[in-house]
Formats: sequence, C-alpha cells, structure tokens
Amino acid sequence: MKNCRIGVYVCMCGTNIAKIVDVEAVVKFVSELPNVVLAKTYKYMCSNPGQEMIVQDIKDNQLNRVVVAACSPNMHERTFRNALRAAGLNQYLLEMANIREQCSWVHTDIKEATEKARALVYAAICRVELHEELESMSVDMCPNVLVIGGGIAGMTAALEIADAGNNVYLVEKNDHLGGNLARVDLTAPYLYSARDLLTEKITRTNNNKKLHIYLQSKVTNLTGYIGNFKATINSLNGKPPEKNKPAEVEIGNVVVCTGYKEFDASRIVHYGYGKLPNVITSFELEKMIRAGRIVTKEGKIPRHVAIIHCVGSRSQEFHTYCSRVCCMTALKYAHEIKSANPECYISDVYIDMHAFGKGHEDFYCRSSEAKTLFLMYEKGDRPVIHKATSKDNCEMLIEVNEKLSGEVIEIPADLVILMVGMEAREDSHEVARIVNISQDKEGWFIESHPKLEPVATTTDGIFIAGTCVAPKDIPDSVAQARAAAARILARIAKEKIEVDALYSEVNENLCSGCRLCNQLCPYSAIEFLEDKKQSHIISALCKGCGVCVAACPSSAINGRHFTDQQVLAQVDGLFVIP
Amino acid sequence: MSVRVNPMFIDDLDRFGAEDVQLCYQCGDCSTVCPHADEVYKFPRKSMRLLQMGLEQKLETTLEPWLCYYCGQCSEQCPREADPGETMMSLRRWLISRYDFTGIARQFFKSRITEIIAIISIALLTGAFLLFYGLSGGNIHIYDGDGAFLPSPFIHKFDLSVGGILAVFLVLNAIRMWYFVMIKGTTFAVPWWLYITEIYQLPWHFLTQKRYSECERKREHKFYMPWIIHLGLMLGYVTMLVLVMVFIEQLQAGPEIRWQVHIFGYLATIGLITGTVYFIRSRFKKHYIQYKKSHGTDWVFVVLLFIIVLTGIAQHIFHRTGLYEWANITYVIHLMSVVPWLLRMPFSKWSHLIYRPLAMYLAAIRRDALVRQVTIINSNPVVVK
Repeated sequence: MKNCRIGVYVCMCGTNIAKIVDVEAVVKFVSELPNVVLAKTYKYMCSNPGQEMIVQDIKDNQLNRVVVAACSPNMHERTFRNALRAAGLNQYLLEMANIREQCSWVHTDIKEATEKARALVYAAICRVELHEELESMSVDMCPNVLVIGGGIAGMTAALEIADAGNNVYLVEKNDHLGGNLARVDLTAPYLYSARDLLTEKITRTNNNKKLHIYLQSKVTNLTGYIGNFKATINSLNGKPPEKNKPAEVEIGNVVVCTGYKEFDASRIVHYGYGKLPNVITSFELEKMIRAGRIVTKEGKIPRHVAIIHCVGSRSQEFHTYCSRVCCMTALKYAHEIKSANPECYISDVYIDMHAFGKGHEDFYCRSSEAKTLFLMYEKGDRPVIHKATSKDNCEMLIEVNEKLSGEVIEIPADLVILMVGMEAREDSHEVARIVNISQDKEGWFIESHPKLEPVATTTDGIFIAGTCVAPKDIPDSVAQARAAAARILARIAKEKIEVDALYSEVNENLCSGCRLCNQLCPYSAIEFLEDKKQSHIISALCKGCGVCVAACPSSAINGRHFTDQQVLAQVDGLFVIP
Repeated sequence: MSVRVNPMFIDDLDRFGAEDVQLCYQCGDCSTVCPHADEVYKFPRKSMRLLQMGLEQKLETTLEPWLCYYCGQCSEQCPREADPGETMMSLRRWLISRYDFTGIARQFFKSRITEIIAIISIALLTGAFLLFYGLSGGNIHIYDGDGAFLPSPFIHKFDLSVGGILAVFLVLNAIRMWYFVMIKGTTFAVPWWLYITEIYQLPWHFLTQKRYSECERKREHKFYMPWIIHLGLMLGYVTMLVLVMVFIEQLQAGPEIRWQVHIFGYLATIGLITGTVYFIRSRFKKHYIQYKKSHGTDWVFVVLLFIIVLTGIAQHIFHRTGLYEWANITYVIHLMSVVPWLLRMPFSKWSHLIYRPLAMYLAAIRRDALVRQVTIINSNPVVVK
C-alpha cells in the first residue's frame, strides 16, 4: 500500500516487557521499514500520557494506521481503539502485537525474545496495511421485554422494566405467580415471611398496566435478534388466548428466570424416602409449617427431629455443587420447630455448615444457643435411616459415622427432614434451545462471563437471572433480576443498539446455496433466503466467530476484519521478516 | 457398635453449670492452648463433644475432667464463648454425682435449697445432740479436763464416728470411680503390676498438686497464686483433719499449750484462713476466669469453711483467755458447721481431694497400658491381622 502512514508504538509495560525484550532494538528495526512513519517506545502505553501521545502523533503526522506492540488485545484493544477514535481515525485501523503474554512473559532469553517480538510486530504491520475502515451498524431497539418465569426473580425483573414504562410479557407455566418461593413459610436468616414478600410483588405485578401476564403458558418459539425478537406464546390449558394478549409478541430483550426444581429424595436409598412415612423433604415440612402443625404421619408431635443436609448436593453420584440455601433453611427449620414445640430436640446432621451470607453466621450462632445438636458426617459416608423398635422410644434411628467425635452413633428421630438440593428444571434444555443459550453439564444456564457478566448470555438480548443460572438465595436472585432489568433499561433508553462491525457476510455471487453454514452457526445467525436460494447472515446476530467462513466450500463467506488477505499477510509477516 | 446420642443430656448438665457448651463448634482451640491435653487424653474438645452428643456411658468412664485444673486459658481462647473451662468443671460435678451411689450428690448439685436444708438440719441435729450431751453431764464453765462441757475423749469418739461415715462413702465412691474407668471404660488389657509401679502418683499428686502449677506454664507466670493458695488450703484442712481425728485430746487439753501438736494447728489455720479469704474474695472479684462463674455448691464450700475457721480460732482464743463459757458455746457452733461440712464431702466438689490423685494414678496406669499395647501391636503386626 503506497499511501499507508503507519505509527508503531512499543510498550515497555513497566519492566514486564522491557526486561526481556530489547524494545529499543525493536523500535530501531521497525522505523527502517517502508510505510512506517514513526516508531516509539513508552513506559506505559495504556496510561493517559501514552494514549495522548498516540492521538497527538496521529494528528501531527497524518498517520492512517497504528500498531501497538503491548499486551493482549483482550486487555487493551478497546483502550487503543478509543485513542484512534479520539484522533478522528477509524478504530479498526489498529492492530495489536502481543509481546507480553506471548513473548516477554513466556521467554527468558533476551536475544530470542527480541527476535520474536520483531516478528510479531512485523506481522502486525503487514496485517494493518490491509485493514479497512469498518462502520458499526445500529439497529432499532424494541422497548418491549419478554420475561420467562413468574417467580421472585421474574416478577422483580418484570416490575422493574414495566415501572419504567415498557411493555413486559410475563410468561408463567403454573396457574399462579410466586414460583418456588410461594411454597416457603419464613425466610432465613431474618425470618421474614415469604408470603409477605410475595404478596406485595404479586399485587404490584397484577396491577401494573404495562405488565401482561400469561399464566399456564409457555414460550414455544423465539426468532430474530437483539432489539427485534418475535416470541410465540402458547397456552398450556388449551384455552384460546385472551383478547388483549396476543400469541405472538414483538420484543427487544428477554429475561429467563425459570428457576429450579428440588432434588428427588427417593433417589438416595439410604434415607428411605417414600418407604419410611416420617422421612419428609424440606418442602413437605414447609407445607406443614404453613398449615400450622408439625406432626408425624401418625399425628403425634415429634420429640426428636433430625435434619439431614446436602441431600442430592455435594456428592459424586448426584450433584457435586452446593445448593447454597439449604444450610440456612435447615437452621430456620430448627428455629421454627423449636418455637412451635420447645420440648422438641433437634439434631442437625451436616457435612459443613455454609454460613457465608449476611447475617448467616449470627443465625448459626443463635441456633447453637438454642441447643440444636450439630452432628457432622463425612462427605460420601451418608447416614442410614432405619425404623426403630418399640423399645427405642422413637420412630427411627439414624446411624452415622460422626466425624467430630469419631464415634459411630445412632440418632433418635421421630421426624426426619431431608434438605433436598436444587436441580435444573427438566425442561431447561427446551428453554435453552428456544432462546438459544447454553447450559453446563448440570443443566444450569451459562452466563457470558461468570464474574463480569453474570446476567448476560452469549446471545445478545437474552438475559438470565435467579436460580436457573445456579442455586442461589432470594437476595441474590433479586439482585440478578434487577441487574438484568438495569441492563435492558439502559439499552431501551438508547433506542438503538450498536452492532459490532465484526461480522461475516455472504458474497451473493459465489454462494451456491448448499446451506452447510446454516446448521453450523452457533448463534443461529444464518438464514436461508428461499427466493434467492442463498444463505444470508443476520449481522446483528453474528459474532464473527468464523465457523461459516472456514466451512464454506465456495469461499463465499468473508469475515470482516479477518479477511483471508489480512490473515495470510500476518502469517507471512511472521516468517519472512527482513 | 454404635452408641445412642442423647440430645436431652445437655439440658441435664445445665444444672451442673455447663450452660454454654451448646455454643461449641469443635474448632479445637481449647485443646491447643491446654497445657495438659495430649495424644491420649484429648480435652476439653473431646469432652465437650461427648457432652453435646449426650454420650453418658462414655463420659462416665472418662478421666479427662479430672486432668483439668481449670486455669481458664481455653475459655479465654474460645471463639464462640462456649466456656470449655467451666464445662470441664461442670463435668467434674457431674462425675462426682455419678460416682456417688446414693444420689445425694446429684440432688445437692441440682438444687441449692435441698443442700441448704440438709446442711441446716444436720447442723441443728448436731447442735441438739451436743447440747443434750453437754447439759446432761458437763459443766458449761469447764472447757477441758474433768467435768468439761464437751470432754475431749467424747469428742474424739464423736469425730471418729463422723470420719468413719465419711470414709465409708468416700471409699465406696472411689471404688465406683475405679470400676467405671478401669473396667467399663478400658477396652485394652491393663497388667496388674502397673498398679504397683505407678502407686507413687497417689501421694505425689495429693501432696503437691504438681499439675495445677503446670497449668500456667504457657502464660509464663512465675507464681500462680491459685495453685499456691489452693495447695495451702488443702494442706491446711488435711492437717486439721488429722489433728482432730488423732490428736484432739491433746489439742483440747489445757492449760499449757502443747507446741508439738499446736504448731501444726497454727500453720494449718494460716493456710485455711488465707485460702478461704482468698477464694471468697476471688469469687466476688472474679479476676481469674475460673472464678467468673460460681456454682451454688462452691459458695457453700467456702462460706462454711470460713465459719469453721473463724469459730475454731475464736474457740481457741476464748479457751486460752479463760472465757470457758464462750469457748464452749463457740465449740458447739464450730462442730455444728464441721459435721455438715464433713458429711457433705463425699457428695460435693470437696471429694476431688480423693478423686483427683486417684485420677492421676489411674491415668498414668492407662497410659502405660496403652503404650504397652501399641508396642505389642507394632512388633507383631501379623498377629493383629
């Protein structure tokens, strides 16, 4: 390229790069290359003075390409792209050479590392010459939102968005709102009534004019892309949809809050659930507490109650994860049973006590004060429940190898409560398929980044919140729901959505319509145009992964910013340095 | 073989003073700071656990509570304020009630009122008996010699019979302790000669309370007052006990002081008065952690002992200054406190006078036997398999 005016910036990264790579030598080498107008090194290129230097140089020397040899583009590509924009240059005219992670951090020999750095920088220069100005696209953002699941997370997200004046379609499978929380009496650790928490939410949800509730309904199809989805909602009870509730809705974003289901305790034979009448699950106890009477199947008030933790959780055979809420819920039961019947003795059979949340440790301490007997068992060495004989003076005996005393003990129990863990719902894979998000091996939906993007998914416009992501308690679910709502409201407020310029396009002259790419696309971004008999990529959905580019037998697909010429020039540059 | 947990046991121990044991979450800090805990005798953690789980059968066979002298470091360290020191103290009270076959100790520990009524009744009975005896034959104006209000040969017999009752209870309880620990609680073989080779432990621990002084080793205090005072008090009342049981006739004789006997009496009195004043003051001031909580029975012990010492001194002064009527009156009051105090002994904390040295002795025997067992197993691994 004759009219290329390239500026090369070699960062020292303090001593991270400079102590292994001879940056001066690299600068000296590149400054002699054709098209390179200037080459500089600096202590921290990402610092404000470093960026200002680049901006100033672009303006002063009419640079039209920039190469920054520094860290990984994951770290600072955005920083330097912003610098280019600030100088009035298209941001895609930048290329980064990673001479830190790929060079100085992994090598010890200064001479060879410098040689490699030269190759990397030269390759970047070869590539940047072929860069084109790309413009990001913007699409309209439909302000309507679909919320799947009417539990605490779903209602919170729906209310948050609807209160801001947007239409929300809330789809719930059951005939009532409230989800799993509606089955609970009090909540740990502050013992607020779940009913009180929910009633307020449900009333507000029902009264909100912007909120359209679809009970006993299911989302059966979702097409389109961020800002422009179309969802089909089907009724499960066979009745035709109500007048003001269309079966097809247009939406811009989706929040998935489908929740969890409890572990089936009968899968663990040791506990005799289903065979011994007084072995019950935590939800069955909740039912008793809500009815106001904690009694055995025979109608007697239990004298000894045992609570077994980690039923289905933290085990190799069932689920290896911790269900996070059961420890505190167990302590809550101890409290509720003891207050209902102070004569009752409670044994809490646990593996570890997870009391990590706010107020949890205090709650644990108070349970100890109330003389709950805590008995520890070894993970994998499960307690066994037998029926007691008449002379034992109790209904059942739980045999367990108690870890803290080293004794094999028998715990008397009239009522045994199994703290069943959380599981992904059996229909979660169906939801995942419809909204096009992924699941982990346990069936939980995967967030786009576990730390920094906890509610977004790899599909733009689809958010996840609550216990469909992983087991969590109410505050965490509510926080996630509000986080998702905040993300969506911010997008709605912008009215348009920027789509990254990095997407693939089909060259209509070359596409033979073989449809090979349609199936391969992990983002369902490729549609087949029946009239033209050709494939077409929806740029708003495309993430530019390049799978279709590689697969196309006619080389009809071009990945923008990753064209064959650009990539090959870079590869050539690596091996043919002057 | 599994053991049955008894979640109700912890409520029972409440009355013995273990009010905070439920708070323990078994971190083991207490055992780490305890200078006496070791591989064989793991406490307080293990004892606290057995108590929480209500494993009575195991607890009554343990010696651990006796190996603790309650320096209170564990309670200071405890992150959950479960008070292991006080728990060990409570376990000792409970053990005393278990060794006692009559069930009286249990009643005393559980109800202060029962104990006080019992003490007052015995005191009144003693007083009535002595007054009846004195008024029927003696002269209130004579303290010693012929025609004395309470003649010393009579008192001697009286003392010996009270002492005899005391000894019977103590010996029977000590045998029960031995049975619990060595027969019920020892699963390994204990060779008989260990009882002989370790016999020196009995007088050694009885007379020195060596382990009590070691309690403070970790804190690097030069002198540990509770130990010295405790030792002085103990030697004081043991000396006194011997004097009244054996030499009462020389002690009560007048008019000249028989120094070969009296010197011991004076020394013992110094030990007793210092000890009782110190312990009463400590229980009020609570400046050592072990005195922070006082069980009802602790108060009865020190207060009664204080009255005994005071009346004993008063009686001696009145006798030597010729106020014989007063001497006789204080003598009656003195005996009215001594008799319930002595008779209470097998059923109260005071019985640790016997149990502690016995526990040290048995602990040493068990340890030796265990080491021997391990050595045998290690040298004959095939036999065991």
